[in-house]
Formats: sequence, C-alpha cells, structure tokens
Amino acid sequence: MIFTAPWLLLGLPVLPVLWWLLRVTPPSPAVVPFPAMRLLAGLQAQPTAARTPWWLLALRLLAAALLVVGLAGPVRAPAASLPGAGPVVLVIDNSWAAAADWPARVQAAQTVLDRAQREGRDAALLATARILPDTAPVIGPVQAPAAVRNQLGALRPAPWPADHTAPVLPSGLPSGPVFYIADGLADPQDPAFAAALRAAGPVTELRAEAAAIILRPTRDQAGPFGATLSMLPRAVASTVAVLAQTGDGRTLARADVPVPAGASAVPFTMDLPPGVRNQVARLVLDNVASAGAVLLLDERWRRRPVGLVAADAAADAPLTGALFYIRRALSPTAELRDGGIAALIEGDVAVLVLADVPLAGAELAAVTRWVEAGGTLLRFAGPRLADAPDALLPVALLAGDRQLGGALSWTEPASLAPFPSASPFAGLILPDDVRIQRQVLAEAAPGLSERTWASLGDGTPLVSAASRGAGRVVLMHVTANADWSNLPLSGLFVDMLRRVVALSAGVATVVDATPLRPAEALDGAGVLGPPPATAAALPGSAFDTTVASPRYPPGLYGPESGRRALNLGTALPVLAPAAPIGSVVPLVASGGEQPFGPAFVAAALLLLAIDLILSLGLRGLLHPATALVLMCAATPAFAQQRRVVDDPALATRLAYVRTGDVAVDGISAAGLAGLSALVNRRTAATLGEPAAVTPGQSDLSFYPLLYWPILPTAPPADTAALNDYTAHGGIILIDTRGAGSGTGLAPGADQALQRVTAGLSVPPLAPLGPEHVLARSFYLLNEFPGRFNGGAVWVGRDQDRSNDSVSPVVIGGHDWAAAWATDAAGRNPYATVPGGARQRVLAYRFGVNLVMYALTGNYKGDQVHVPALLERLGQ
Amino acid sequence: MTADAPPALARRAEALAARLPALRAGSVRVASTVTAGAHARRRVGPGSSFWQFRPYVSGDAPGQIDSRASAKSNRAYVRQTEWELAQTVHIWRDRSASMEWRSGASLPTKTERAALLVLATAALLLRGGERVRPLGEPVLPTLERLAEALDRQSPANLPGAAPVATHARLLLAGDFLAPLTEIESAIRPYTTRAVRGHLLQVLDPAELDLPYSGRVRFRGLENEGDTVVAQVEGVRTAYAQAIAAQQAGLRALCTQAGWTCTLHCTADPPETALLALYQAIA
Repeated sequence: MIFTAPWLLLGLPVLPVLWWLLRVTPPSPAVVPFPAMRLLAGLQAQPTAARTPWWLLALRLLAAALLVVGLAGPVRAPAASLPGAGPVVLVIDNSWAAAADWPARVQAAQTVLDRAQREGRDAALLATARILPDTAPVIGPVQAPAAVRNQLGALRPAPWPADHTAPVLPSGLPSGPVFYIADGLADPQDPAFAAALRAAGPVTELRAEAAAIILRPTRDQAGPFGATLSMLPRAVASTVAVLAQTGDGRTLARADVPVPAGASAVPFTMDLPPGVRNQVARLVLDNVASAGAVLLLDERWRRRPVGLVAADAAADAPLTGALFYIRRALSPTAELRDGGIAALIEGDVAVLVLADVPLAGAELAAVTRWVEAGGTLLRFAGPRLADAPDALLPVALLAGDRQLGGALSWTEPASLAPFPSASPFAGLILPDDVRIQRQVLAEAAPGLSERTWASLGDGTPLVSAASRGAGRVVLMHVTANADWSNLPLSGLFVDMLRRVVALSAGVATVVDATPLRPAEALDGAGVLGPPPATAAALPGSAFDTTVASPRYPPGLYGPESGRRALNLGTALPVLAPAAPIGSVVPLVASGGEQPFGPAFVAAALLLLAIDLILSLGLRGLLHPATALVLMCAATPAFAQQRRVVDDPALATRLAYVRTGDVAVDGISAAGLAGLSALVNRRTAATLGEPAAVTPGQSDLSFYPLLYWPILPTAPPADTAALNDYTAHGGIILIDTRGAGSGTGLAPGADQALQRVTAGLSVPPLAPLGPEHVLARSFYLLNEFPGRFNGGAVWVGRDQDRSNDSVSPVVIGGHDWAAAWATDAAGRNPYATVPGGARQRVLAYRFGVNLVMYALTGNYKGDQVHVPALLERLGQ
Repeated sequence: MTADAPPALARRAEALAARLPALRAGSVRVASTVTAGAHARRRVGPGSSFWQFRPYVSGDAPGQIDSRASAKSNRAYVRQTEWELAQTVHIWRDRSASMEWRSGASLPTKTERAALLVLATAALLLRGGERVRPLGEPVLPTLERLAEALDRQSPANLPGAAPVATHARLLLAGDFLAPLTEIESAIRPYTTRAVRGHLLQVLDPAELDLPYSGRVRFRGLENEGDTVVAQVEGVRTAYAQAIAAQQAGLRALCTQAGWTCTLHCTADPPETALLALYQAIA
C-alpha cells in the first residue's frame, strides 16, 4: 500500500492534542428556561465535572484518524513499485484477438502508466498491429506518461493479427521494465520478438483469459448452412451464441453453440428455411466486438445465374421475342446466360428458363436429372408446349389452349386472383390492368391447389409449381411475351420472376484472378465501414489464402452485384496459445490498483454523522422528530433499492408460462411487454408488467390471458391447474412457434403440443375465420400473423355456450411473442417472415384483439349478428 | 396558543362555566353573613320579596298574619318573604414571570390556565348571584370587567395584604413555588381574620416530571440565575421529591388554616380543576 499524499499523514500526531481538547471541553449544555429553579438549585449541591464520555471521544478520534488517512490517498497496488530503473516500455497487442476485451487491456495499460507517473518515470508505447502495409510497428518516443496516455487513448484494435517482428528499439533507450499486454496467440516470429523485449528490460506479461474466438467459414459451402467456431482451448465448457443477421443488422436466427472444454474448433450448423437463409448476410458472435466475430457471407452463397433458352431464333426480337421481357426483367439483378440446354446445365446455372420449349429424349432426361439435383426450372407455355406437353411439368396439361375474350367468344379476358398466402408471390401488389387472353389449362387433379402459386379470377392456375427431387419445376401458363397476356408488360412480371429466382439454390462462383476493389471493410470491433486508405484490390483467386492485413482488410470486395467477402478466419492459421515471454500476471488482477482513500473519508463522515446524533442525544436535543428527520435523510439511498411490491391483484396483467428456456422466456416477456404497451396506448385497458407463471405453482386466477409457447422438448404441463384456469374463464394462447416458417424453426413442436397438452380439456376446435369474435373484437382482421404467417389458427367452436362461447384456448404457431417483442430501445428485435411492416402491424392487431377478447369475452359477438339483424329488419 | 385578550378569556371562562350549575358560595356559613343583597336564597328568610303563604300555627306573631290572604278562606295565613343575602368572593391570581411559561407548544401557559379557572369560577359565582371582586378592588358586576381587573393586578408571585371583610371568601391561583414560609406569611393576614380561602396551584407537567435529559442549563425566569445540571436523569427523583414536599407543605398550610387546596396540572383538562373548585367553594 502506498500513499499519494503522504505528507498529510503528519496530521496523525495531532490526534492526542485533539484528545486533550475534547476531554477538557465538555459538550455545551442545552439551555432550558425553567420556573422551578428554587427546587432545582437545592439539588445541585456538588456539580460533577462534565466530561465527554470515553466512547464518544474514541469515536471522534477514529473519525479524525480515518479522515487523515483517507485524504493521504492510500492506494492498494499489488506491484506498486516498478522494476528496473529506466523508462517503462509498454507493448500492446492491438490485434483482432484483443478487441473483445479491449477496454480491460487499456485499463491495465493505464494502470502501468499511473505507476510510471507516480514514480516520475517516462514511458514508450509499442502497438504491435501494423498500421501501414509495409512498415513494421515501431516503438514510440520516450515521453512523459501523460503523453503516452494520449497515444494509448487513440489506439484502436486492428482487424488483423499482430506483427511480432522484432521491434527496433530507439537508440539510447536505457534498460527499463517492459510491460507486455499480450493477445495470447502464438506467432512464428515470437522468439525474435521475445528476445527483443527481453533485451529492453525485465518483461512482465499481462495476460487475459483465453478469449480469442473466431468464426471460420465452412469449406463445404454446398452442405448445410453453418460455420466453424475456432478458439484457444478453454478450461471450462461454455456456450457461444451465434446470430444470423441481415445486411441491415436484423437478427434472423440464433444458434447457441456449446463449446466443450479444451476444444479448439467447433463446427455448427443453423437450420434455416431457404427463404430466410437467402437473407442472411453475416454470422455474428453475440456480445463479442471483434473482427474475428463477424463472418461475412458473400455472393458465392447466393449467386444465381439464369440460363435462358427459347425455341426459335427470334427470341430476342424487341417487344415480340420470347426472351425479350425475361431478359429485361432479370438483367439488373441476375447473371443471364444463353446457349443450348446441355451447355447451360453443364455451366452450372441456378435457374433454367425455357420459353415454350417442349422437352424430349436426352434433353428431357438431362433436365430432369438437373432439376432433381437441385435446379429450378422455369417454363413458359406457348403454342408448342400446348400442342405437345411433356413429362417435366408441375401439373398435367389439357391438350390445346383456352382462349378468353376475342371476336368469337363471350368471355372477357381474365384478371388475376389474389395470391394465396402460401405462395411465394404473396404480398406482391396486383395491378388492376393485367388481363390474360390465352392460357394452357391444367387437368383437375387432387393437390392442384397446393401446386398453384397464382391463379386467375375463375380459379384456373396461372402459375403452378411442383418440387422434383431437390429442385423445383415452375410453369407459367402463359407465354413470356405479350401474345397471350399483358402480364409481361406489367411490373408484377418482374417481381414474380425475381421471386422465383430468389427461391432457387445458389451455385458456386467461378473464381478468377480479376482484382476486386475493396468496397467495405470491418474495423477492429467488427463493424463494417469504408475501407482504410491502405486497402488495395485483391485478386479473386486469392481470397481463400489471404490473411487479413492493412493492405487487405477483412470486408467485402468487388462490384455491388458480385461481392466477395474476405474473412479474417478464412486463412488465419490454427489458433495456438503463445508461450509467455516474461513473468505472467493475470490481466484482471493487474488492473486492480485500487485507491481506497474515498472509502476512508466516507467512513469518517459516517462516524461524524453518528457523532452528531450522539452529541445531540447527550445534550438532550434529540427529539423524536429530529431523529426521524435524520433517519429520513439517511434512508433515500435504501428506499431506491426497494422493489415494487409485486402483488398480481393490483393490476391487470398478461402472463406467460415459463418454459425453462431462458431465451424463449425472454421472448415471451418482451413480447407481452410490447403488447401490453400497445394495448395501453391504443385501448382503454390498462395492463401492468407481464408476469411469468408456472401452472400448478402460481395462482393463475389473476391473469386474463396466458401465453404458452410450446418447445419441442417441453415436459408435460400441470394440466389440472390449466383446466381449472380455463374452466373459470381464462384464455390460453398456445403457440408452437413454427407454423408458416417453412421447414421449421421449431421442428417437433406440433408433436410436443400433443404430448404437452395431453390432459388439457380442449373443446372441439375450428379454424379461426374472419367471422369469429376474435377477428373483430377491436380491429377487423382477416389474418392473424405473428412472426410467421400462413398457418391455421384454431379456436373452440361456437357451440359451447357454457362460457359465453368464449374459446378457452387459441392454438396456433405464428410465434406471436417474437412479433410483439420490443427491446429496451423500442425496436423489434425479431424480423417478421416473410416480412414487412404490415405483418408486424397485423400481429399487434391480433394481439390487441386477443387481449380485448380475453377482457370482454363475446361482447363484440353481437356485431357478428348485425348483418342478420339488418336483414330481418328489412323484411 | 397565545394568551387571550381579557374579553376573549372571559368568553372562554363563560363557556367553561356553562357546564356547571350556578355556584352559591358557602351555604354553611352564609347564615352569619351580615351583608344583605338583592339575591334571593330561594328559601324563607329575611327579605323583601314574597315567598309563600303558610297556615298560621300557634307561636307565630299575630302581626305576621296576612289579612288579604286570610280573608279568602276560614283559615289564617302567614305571609313569608324570601331570604335574600349574598357572599363576597375575592379573587387573585399570580401574574409573575414564572407563570408565563409552558414546556410545550401544545400546552397553555400557567397564567393563562390560572386566569381561565379563576374567571370560570367567577362566572359560576356571578350566575349564582354572589359578589366577586378582585383582591383589593371594588366589586365588579361583569366577567369582562373582572378579566380586565385581573390583568391589572400587580405582578407579584404572592398576594399582598388587602382589606377583606370577615367571613368573605378568597380564591388564590398561582404556582406557589415560593418558599412555604413566604406563602404562610402572605396568607396570614387572611387566615387570622376568619377569611375562608381556596388555593389553586397551577403547574406545568414539566415542573412535575422534569422530562429533560443529558446536560442541561436551566435558566430562571425571574432572574434567579442559571443552574447547570450535568445529568438531568440523575436529579429527577430528587426533584420529584422536592416538588412533592412543596405540594405537601402547601396542603398542610391550607389544612391548618381551614382552607382548601386544589392542585392542577396544565396538561389536565380545566374542567377537573373547575369541578374541584366548585365543590370546595360550594
């Protein structure tokens, strides 16, 4: 322990004088006017000498001593005096691996500088990450610690590894202690580096816990979506959260990857529906701010070349050609290729467009193989296909075509029906003026409607599609030019084609040696920004072998349509712990220079406050009211910590069933909080903070609505308590959290639903339609989306009059809580799928309706009968 | 609570006295009072106003027979008059500086309480037809003037000698913390002349309990100087004994002279003291 102002300790010898003064000065008495003086005077025959009690004296002396010691500035520092004699050399690895705990490292460096300043020694700083591509790091000038502190403040972690070439010591550097804040990663040049440091003076190495962790791309990019976590081996098992984010930072999915103790590489996969997967722009480690924690996904994973094939040579004729409109629609966003079918398949396209090309023979077999291997075949109808339908079609076609409108027909050209919600075209805006004059007709067959992506107003399919192996065949029942319809003239055609292309699986990029210009670069904290001035173009063929450096910072390279990602983890050698260079001190402990003078002063002030109260008491001035005021003055600090009494009966609040999964419970809490806030804002209902309940343990009778997310691994619930709850008017919203998300963000939830709710008394169910009270209890709704959309929502059938026809359960899988959830900043952390602000609004509206339904029952049910009543009145 | 102006104090005393029936002082000794007043005693006796006719019995003086009443029947009736006489009550209260004191803001000062009780008693007496005069001053007929006269009395802590008729009544109110010998010499002029007196000692509860603690500098109100008590808790018992001895001596003084002594604490409601005074004077 040292003192920053030791001369103040001279105050301690004064304490005996204080002792003497306090002893001879009795506390001044309280003055009280009193009439019966004569009676009192006789009692004071021998006035005792008034003295301060010894314990009060001791208290005051202790307070004074604490004050003196506290003001002298005691500092507890484990290694208070610096070794050696010369200036301090501070060496910091400001590489990517140091970025995650960079503040702690800066803190440790500041502590070293504090010591140097106290001892009046100069310091020099060496940051080992390169700034310029061709210049090795150089030790800064020997300066006063304050100047070095400014350098340190400006220092940022770099998104590339440290450069451990032996540093050039400034000439005339006297031998001084070296403090090395290491990133802990081994480097081939370590021996020379260590020798140079040791030559400068005794080396103290401040080493952090093995924190370096990096995301590396998986080599096999055709396999399941995922990556590899690479890290220094850790002593204890832990869990690392990986987020799949879009380009604008929305988190689409999250994977918690368990990292066993001692592991150095942990591959993981994320099971994402194709539509979601195509939106993922990067994988990010949650709560790790480092360039290594970001894995940028480039167009290699999503590039989708489109092959165009037409039957006649005039396919590219302006305005009339079969491919003219397709080319115009796709050329801004896709790479288009022409050629024969065989050549295109050979050249690896993602989508093959056949404009009225019937297939036969070897071609049919080749294309079928290609589709079954994962290709997307988009076919347009036309006179040739109408005459000779082949086998590679999503639906069986009737021979010939159907003409709507025209000189010899009574029918009008048909318009489009709204897209089914399960269709990939759902959400596209239908122009009013699209008219179909001719089409090929599908044979009526079971399952035709499932295969229909778009249909005409009379229900006949306009676009049909079917899966074939790993691929898909899509048929437009019209031509690709304006002969049969004006669809190719409309903007809808562009959107439809783009959606079809977006559905297709990507193919690998052809790698060539073209230099790609840096477009965006990661900084040390893993944030994309403009590339530094030192960045240079990188040949496309070198991406897999280039280690990030000032010349090639990690980031995105190349033109907008074909970005390539240079990731830090791609070419970085295997992470290995570095051998210690000097005596190793843990980073956290070394940061522990703790001045505790303020605590002493605070204790002294506290003692003096106690002394005040005691003195008042001794003088008889301590009235109960005074004591109360003093206590009140002392209590606010504690009063702030008092928790609000959480009496569930004091406010109406929503509740969710605890699942045991912290993440899911967090979503439920955030979702219900967001919904409660909206209900409070939009309606007359006032809801409190949502509560978490466990059926069978919590008293459910306080809550009008229970949100119950079903996990695939959920254990059977206490259905007796829930039955009792629903029997007394409670409503449970059961959410399997996966319906409409494609192939399952929550696989197995439906089976779990059966298992978990085995004992629950569920009435006969019916799909929730727009006629139900729930669809009009506050807003008028036709669909009930959450984070996902498209699945059916089930409610009790209206026949049960026992509970005023109010359904005790609402069962669905749209993951409503995730749609309602807001974070502290009021943002929605979970993207809606397929997406859009409208879906979020509808999700909230469904929530408000549900709350209103839970609070008012079938009150709005009468509205359902209004049309019938009006009709009767009319009669 | 500030001290009331005389008219307000008189009103409060009136209100306090309104709860008790009118007070007629000393019916026992009234027979010997020579002063005849206009006040009827509601019994037969010497007076001017008609009281009753009663049948003549042998032994009545014949001159007492009322001829007009007797002529109405065959019997002879004697006319009787009502007994009319009055008692004079002298009142005094301590107006010294030590009486202008209270230990807490919620309590009345001793002088205020003493004046209230004295005036309330006076109000009862006036209602009963007695004559009330401040000690050393003429008889005053109304409570307001009595209140003003009380405020004019000299600020001595013991009553001085004043002409008082034999068998008159005397009501003395104060804290009576002076030495007992001084009190005795102060009331001797009255006790020797068969004046029947009533002492009312009004004390603050703090004077009874000494509720202070720690080191206290007590400051006298009548220039007695200061007394520093190091530990008030330590002298509390001794003080209680001293005040009890003072009260016992006061009582003994009164008993010797055939007077009554009423002790009152300002923390108690005034009605209790008024009732005690009422019973003592009646």
